[in-house]
Amino acid sequence: MIDTVREIETAEGISLRLRAAGALPRAQAWVLDLLLRGVFFLVAMIPLSIFGVAGNGLAMLLLFALMWAYGVVCEVWMDGQTPGKRALGLRVVHADGTPVTWLPSVVRNLLRVVDILPGVYGVGLVSTLVDPHARRLGDIVAGTMVVHARELPPGQQVPAVSALPLPLALSADEQAALVDYAERAGQLTVQRQEELANLLTPLTGLRDTAAIRQLVAHVNWLLGRA
Amino acid sequence: MELERIGVVLRPRVTREALDLGAAMLRAHARPVWSAWFAFTLPLFVLCNGLGVALGWPWLGWGLMWWLKPLFDRLPLYVLSRAVFDQAPGWRQTLRGQARWPWRRTLAALTWLRIDSNRALRLPLDLLEGSTRAQRSARWKVLRRRLVGETSLLTYFCLLFELVLFLSVWLFALLLIPHEWRPQSLIELVRGDTQVIPTAWVLAGAGVAYLAMSVIEPLYVACGFALYLNRRTQLEAWDIDLAFRRLRARLQGTALLAVALLCFGAWTPPAQAQATAEVHAAAVDKPASVSLDALFGARAEAPEPGLAQAAARAYRDPRFGGEHTVRRWQLKYKPEPAATSINPLFPWLGHLLGGFFQLLLWLLLIGVLGGLVWLGWRWRGRWLVRDEEVASALSPPISSIVDAPAALPADLAGAARALWQAQRRREALALLYRGCVEQTARELRQPPAADATEAHWLRQARAIDDPQRSRRVIEIVRTWQFAAYAGRYPDDATVEQLLAGWPAQPGAST
Repeated sequence: MIDTVREIETAEGISLRLRAAGALPRAQAWVLDLLLRGVFFLVAMIPLSIFGVAGNGLAMLLLFALMWAYGVVCEVWMDGQTPGKRALGLRVVHADGTPVTWLPSVVRNLLRVVDILPGVYGVGLVSTLVDPHARRLGDIVAGTMVVHARELPPGQQVPAVSALPLPLALSADEQAALVDYAERAGQLTVQRQEELANLLTPLTGLRDTAAIRQLVAHVNWLLGRA
Repeated sequence: MELERIGVVLRPRVTREALDLGAAMLRAHARPVWSAWFAFTLPLFVLCNGLGVALGWPWLGWGLMWWLKPLFDRLPLYVLSRAVFDQAPGWRQTLRGQARWPWRRTLAALTWLRIDSNRALRLPLDLLEGSTRAQRSARWKVLRRRLVGETSLLTYFCLLFELVLFLSVWLFALLLIPHEWRPQSLIELVRGDTQVIPTAWVLAGAGVAYLAMSVIEPLYVACGFALYLNRRTQLEAWDIDLAFRRLRARLQGTALLAVALLCFGAWTPPAQAQATAEVHAAAVDKPASVSLDALFGARAEAPEPGLAQAAARAYRDPRFGGEHTVRRWQLKYKPEPAATSINPLFPWLGHLLGGFFQLLLWLLLIGVLGGLVWLGWRWRGRWLVRDEEVASALSPPISSIVDAPAALPADLAGAARALWQAQRRREALALLYRGCVEQTARELRQPPAADATEAHWLRQARAIDDPQRSRRVIEIVRTWQFAAYAGRYPDDATVEQLLAGWPAQPGAST
C-alpha cells in the first residue's frame, strides 16, 4: 500500500505516524520564508542607511544572521517551524518524531550549502523527489525530516441516541471505521450514507434509514454513552 | 472500479498532504510511467525539432513541445489510474489504451484551455469519468471547491521546478566543465556578445528543457490525480467504504484465509541477529618510517639526460612558460569613492563598532584555544578504547528461533505430529498453539488479533460455551507456555492427547 507516512513503533508498542512533507509544500514554505526575510532586510536597511559605514557593517551582519541563524533559531525556539513552515503547516522533527534540537538543526541548515547547488536548489529538489520521505541531503545527514503538523478539522459530534451494544466483538480498526462513519456522515449525501450503511447489513440486519440509525446507536455504545 | 483493489492508503488528508501522495505514487510506479512517457514523447520531440530546423525556426521545436504538454499528460494519468486499482500497464498497453480515451477534452486543453492553471485537476475528471457536458460542469463545481488555490499553486510550482532543473543542468555544466573545454560560442552566448543564437545551442536548450519537463510533468499529473482521489475520498468516504467492505467480508465468513494470514503475519521469524565481534580484532600495523632512498634503492638526485630534455620541452609549452599577450579592458581613471548623499549621523560609530567586533573576535580565538587545551587535559590518556569494553557491549546472540510458515497446513494434527516425531518439539508445539488460537478465534467469531498474548487467549478460552473445548484450549496454551518460556516439554502421550479432538482436528466433534 502506497502512503507517505513513516511509522515508528516505540518500546511501549505505541505507533507514531509521521506524515512526511514532500517537495511541493516545502518549496512553498521556502519561498514564503525568502520573501519574509527579504522584506525584513529591506525595512531594516532604511534606518541603518543613515549610519554610513557603521550601518553597512551592521546590515552585513544582519544579512549573515538572516541567512544562517534564521532557520536554526526558528526551528529550535518556535517548535520546529520557521514562519513560512508555520503558515504551510509543516514542522521539522527528528527522524524518530522527537522535537528537533540544536545540533541536528545546525547541521541541516549548514548543509543548505550542498542542497543549494548549483545556486538554484537543484540538488535539494532532486533529493526530495527521490527520497521516500522527501528529505534533502541536509535532512538525511542530520537525521531529521519535515512533517505535516496540521490535522483535518474533526467531523461533527455524533448525534446522541440510546446506545445499543454490538452483537459481536470488532477489532480496533473496525470500531474506528464505525465512529468515523458517524462523525463524517454529515459531509455525505443521504444516498451515500444509506449505501454505506447497507454494506453492513450482515451486522445490523437492516437497510437504509433504519440501518443508519442502528449504526449510530452502536457508535453511541462504542463511545461509552448510556 | 473495485475499491477493494486500491493500492494506496485512503484517508481524508489535508490538501497539501495529498500532493505528497502523488509524489509517492509516482515513485512507486516510476518504471511504467516513464517508459510510456519516453516511448510516446521522444519521437514527437525529434519530430518537432526536426520540423523547426527544416523550416528555419529552431525555436519552434521548443515552443511546440511546451504547447503539447496536455497531450503528454494523458500517458502518466493512464498508467497511474490503472496502477492504483490494478496492475500497472506496460508502455505498449498504455499507447494502445490512448485510442480508447476521449480526445475531445484533450483538444480543448490544447486550444482554448491551454493557459489553465487547473489542468491537473481537470484531467482526471475529463478522462476518467467520461460524463456529458452538463454533468461535467456540475461535477467540476463540486470537485474544485476549496481546491482551486492549491491546484494553481501546484501548477506554478511545477513550472518553477522545471525552471530549477533546466537551470541546474546548465549551471552544473558551467561549473564542472574546465575552462579550456568550453566551446567559444557558449562563452559568447553567456556574455551576450552574439546577436543570433546558433541553432545547435537552441536544440541543446530544447533537449535540456525536454528532460526537465520529463521529470516534472508526470509529477504534476500524479499530484493532480492525488488531489482528485483525496477530494473523492472526502466527498464519498472511500476509506469508510473500504473498511465496511472488509468488515462485511469478515462477517460473511469469506475472508477466513485473509484472517488467518493477518492473525499470524506477525509470526515470521526475525532475522537472526548476527553479532560480529571482530570489530577490534585486527590490530592495525603501524607503517615503519622508510626513507626515499631505501624505497627506490638508489639516490634520487642523479638526473637522467632524457629527463632534462623532457623538462625543457615541457617548459617550452606555452601553458607553462613563455610570454602571453593578455588583453583586457581597464579603466583609465580611478573611480572616485562614491560620496554618500546622506552624511552619517555618528561618524565615530563605525570605529567603535569595528573595535568592538575585533575585540570580540580576539576573545573568541582565546576562548577556542583555551577550550582545546582544557579538552586535551581532561581527556588525557583516554584516546584508546580497550578491547574488553567493546566485547562487553555486545549482547549474546539470540538462539532457537521458531521457523514457522505464514499459512497453517490443512492437516494440522498430522503436521504437528510429524514435527514432534522428527524431534523438532518446539516447532511442533508452536504449530499446535497457532492452530488452536485460530480455531478459538473462529469459534468466538472474533477479529484477528496479531498482538494477542497467551494470557489473552487463556482469558478468551473461558468464554467458549463448550466446557470441554475451553479446557482443551487452556491445556494447549499452558503446554506451549511451559515449552516456550521454561524449556519443559511434555511426554509423547500428553502430546498425542492434545493432538486428538477439536482444536488440532477442526472437523472433530469434541
